[in-house]
Amino acid sequence: MALPNQQTVDYPSFKLVIVGDGGTGKTTFVKRHLTGEFEKKYEPTIGVEVHPLDFFTNCGKIRFYCWDTAGQEKFGGLRDGYYIHGQCAIIMFDVTARLTYKNVPTWHRDLCRVCENIPIVLCGNKVDVKNRQVKAKQVTFHRKKNLQYYEISAKSNYNFEKPFLYLARKLAGNTDIHFVESPALAPPEVHIDLAAQQIHEAELAQAANQPLPDDDDDTFE
Amino acid sequence: MASKEPEHEPRADEEETTAAEDEDTGAQVAPIVKLEEVTVTTGEEHEEAILDLKSKLYRFDKDGNQWKERGAGTVKFLKHKESGKVRLVMRQSKTLKICANHLVLPTMTVTEHAGNDKSCVWHATDFAEGELKDELFCIRFASVENCKLFMETFQEVAESQQQKEDNEDASAAAGLLEKLSVEEKKTEEKTEEKEEKKTEEKEEKKTEEKAEEKEEESEKKEPASST
Repeated sequence: MALPNQQTVDYPSFKLVIVGDGGTGKTTFVKRHLTGEFEKKYEPTIGVEVHPLDFFTNCGKIRFYCWDTAGQEKFGGLRDGYYIHGQCAIIMFDVTARLTYKNVPTWHRDLCRVCENIPIVLCGNKVDVKNRQVKAKQVTFHRKKNLQYYEISAKSNYNFEKPFLYLARKLAGNTDIHFVESPALAPPEVHIDLAAQQIHEAELAQAANQPLPDDDDDTFE
Repeated sequence: MASKEPEHEPRADEEETTAAEDEDTGAQVAPIVKLEEVTVTTGEEHEEAILDLKSKLYRFDKDGNQWKERGAGTVKFLKHKESGKVRLVMRQSKTLKICANHLVLPTMTVTEHAGNDKSCVWHATDFAEGELKDELFCIRFASVENCKLFMETFQEVAESQQQKEDNEDASAAAGLLEKLSVEEKKTEEKTEEKEEKKTEEKEEKKTEEKAEEKEEESEKKEPASST
């Protein structure tokens, strides 16, 4: 469901509620999907931030309105007021912080009070980190409550598409849904005048001296 | 020219968890939409890939004076089969969304990144999000060799686009010259061949005129018949 000031689209869209303790990586995960960047800096979300996120599937384009909610209690805003009319959800915890997993049942309970029978994915984030506090085998909550579980890493992109794919399949009752190439439209002709080109070149020379973000990943997922 | 890197093989620990994760432990829920299979168009149907490499793309954030990740996946140079135009298209792995989509122009130059010999930088007016946007891009490869290959290909393509433009200009100019000389010939030396051609042209014109007349006539008739 869109906010009143948000444009509606002529293809299927779903309200996705994302909950979980502060610092587990909800905002970073959404941002990763939106722009490709990996934000290291932690800035707590206040209340909620809603972002439309589109995917191209073999059954056409779909959109998730991601309701990225505050994990920190003091910034919670309307709290479960944001869950109303949620059609699917992600509960996120941090595999390097045991307490964030311990709090999963509370997030789940609050969510289910408002949204009955919606597909929910439990995500254990930060699996790229060597020193895990919550091992894969210790994660059992999803079995008790019939949730789907994915180990993910917003940093390495490991399984980062899986939660959306799972939810799309459940919402449509179609297990054959998969992501397809989005159409690469022909870029229009551009003519750059000499003056503009010189500016770009100067900016480029300056940018070429700035280091790339720390990154040892060569798998390019 | 096309080369492909071997697909990333998952590490042992990844493989273990993948097997378990694909199991659906979720509750049965009633679907809320019905989605039908549609025809998928990549937009690349009329092009062929000149180069195809795994890489990570960054865009320069001028406000923050820093490089930010744009996506990781496959970068391609795509040559249009008819126009010969070449564009750079990069897609994110798994989601297959577009991270970069721009024409390679003769004015473009690609240069090494100062601190990383597996990466290089360039400026482009990018169309990845459906509107033109000035971007400074940096791309990083798994090896120095791939980076070199990318840079060489980029530069070759840019130069070939220059030649293409030159050729087009030249052929356009040649066309104009030919026209001029033909007209001169027409007035100065009326060879039989030219005469023949002219009569042919005239005949063509006549038939055209007749056709037009007929059309006009039928148009005139129409209102009468409709009443």
